[in-house]
Amino acid sequence: MAAIESVLKWFTDPAHWSGTDGIPTRLMEHIQLSAESVAIAMLIALPIGIVLGHYGKLGNVAINVSNIGRALPSFGILVIAFQIWGLGDLPIIVSLTALAIPPMVTNSYVGLREVDPDIKDAARGMGFRGMAQLLRVELPLALPLVMAGIRTSAVQVVATATLAALIAGGGFGRYIVDGLDQQDYTKLFAGAVLVALLALATELSLGGLERLVTPRGIRLLRVRAARPATAFKTA
Amino acid sequence: MNRKLSSGRLFAALATIVLTAVACGSTSAPAASKGTITIAGFAFSEGTVLADLYGEALAHDGFTVNYKLQLGNREVVSTAIKSGQVDLYIGYAATDLEFYNKGAGEASGDAAANVQKLNSHLSSLGLVALTPSTAIDQNAFAVTKDTASKYNLVKLSDLAAVGGQLVLGGPPECPTRPFCQPGLSRVYGITFKSFKALDAGDPLTFAALANGSIQVGLVFSSDARIAPAKLVVLQDDKQLEQADDVVPILRSAVASDEAKTVLNEVSAKLTTADLVQMNSQVENLHQDADAVTMAWLQSHNFGM
Repeated sequence: MAAIESVLKWFTDPAHWSGTDGIPTRLMEHIQLSAESVAIAMLIALPIGIVLGHYGKLGNVAINVSNIGRALPSFGILVIAFQIWGLGDLPIIVSLTALAIPPMVTNSYVGLREVDPDIKDAARGMGFRGMAQLLRVELPLALPLVMAGIRTSAVQVVATATLAALIAGGGFGRYIVDGLDQQDYTKLFAGAVLVALLALATELSLGGLERLVTPRGIRLLRVRAARPATAFKTA
Repeated sequence: MNRKLSSGRLFAALATIVLTAVACGSTSAPAASKGTITIAGFAFSEGTVLADLYGEALAHDGFTVNYKLQLGNREVVSTAIKSGQVDLYIGYAATDLEFYNKGAGEASGDAAANVQKLNSHLSSLGLVALTPSTAIDQNAFAVTKDTASKYNLVKLSDLAAVGGQLVLGGPPECPTRPFCQPGLSRVYGITFKSFKALDAGDPLTFAALANGSIQVGLVFSSDARIAPAKLVVLQDDKQLEQADDVVPILRSAVASDEAKTVLNEVSAKLTTADLVQMNSQVENLHQDADAVTMAWLQSHNFGM
């Protein structure tokens, strides 16, 4: 109980809400590192996953390579990247980008593969060709899965960006590393709470975005699929 | 050709591992062990050197020694020894005194007096500090040669006028330690533009000094990397740093006469020059700390 009280006190202390070590500064640093990493990963991963999924080729290669990517520990990449690029944001962004790529490749590949072949046939029958078929028929249908990949990556990146503090970076990890080294466990716990809240906020906001960008047709499909179940319950 | 070569190497490596394992088995498990001692090393390179040095001496005398190297900073190591998870660590007289007395300012330039006062704080914790070595390693503050000539810096008091333009870098605990940021402020009246949390005088600090993200960095006086990195250590003209002589601190429960004799013998023979030399071999030439310390023990008649 005393521990929770001291953490609450830490949050209400105005000194922790300003300055270079204040929560707003650390929040911006954390969001910046995470957003940059996810954006770079999207530029790399989505074209690969979408193109491979569209043509249905090299699928095993894509999935296996990105699975190897999942097995690489971010901390290991961080240390190696620090040896190469030295102090700064670059090694942190490299290791977080490597973390973010695999779920996006896998999900966008699977999303494109899962498009019903009958729908593709129908699209061709209606005169859609090549790029138009990909952009106007397959991609909208695959969008929920593609977005889910981005969301998974983003939440992982936000949670893992705490590692930045180990090589003198900013973000909420600073509170965790400094709290441990200063034996200030209140600060450490507060840092962990902040990271958890930010990861949760990322999950919820990207989940909301996912629903917003889902084409109306698919949303209707889902509602219709759900309806018999409700009807059964009320009957 | 290439494959043959690498498989030959692999075999050689495996053979070495097996032979070493056999060799270790025969030395670290003698007929009757005199007891088990777990030694902790601080998470900076000299911490590993000192832990290996004292640990190997104990092992040679017949103790079974477990190592917890790079365990953490003093905050972590002291918690571990108080709870009995480790039995011994190699500390520094003044810094440990000011750590256990919570920065009461008792430390002086007399290492023996520091250890005596330290023991008065340790006894209630079931710990004891032994006779200090003459080998000394103090906190020091380094700047690059460029920074030194730009701001005309020779001694720490020169920083008082320009501190507001400079960023201080050091381990995360520096802002709470009496011989770090608070000491610079109290003794020299230096206020820095900001503080950047790095590590305890290790690669992050050297990298940050080199790329200019900090201008003043905490280093250790016995560190052998300072000169090659073209850094200047500012003179401590108002004696902020006190007698930080190397001193073993152990749990009273394992402080047998024999263990104390071995540890004191190492402390008595170790000099600051030896420590700098060993640090240099580990930090600059990247030799293994345990081999470097073993060579020192052999050349100082520990009969190995």
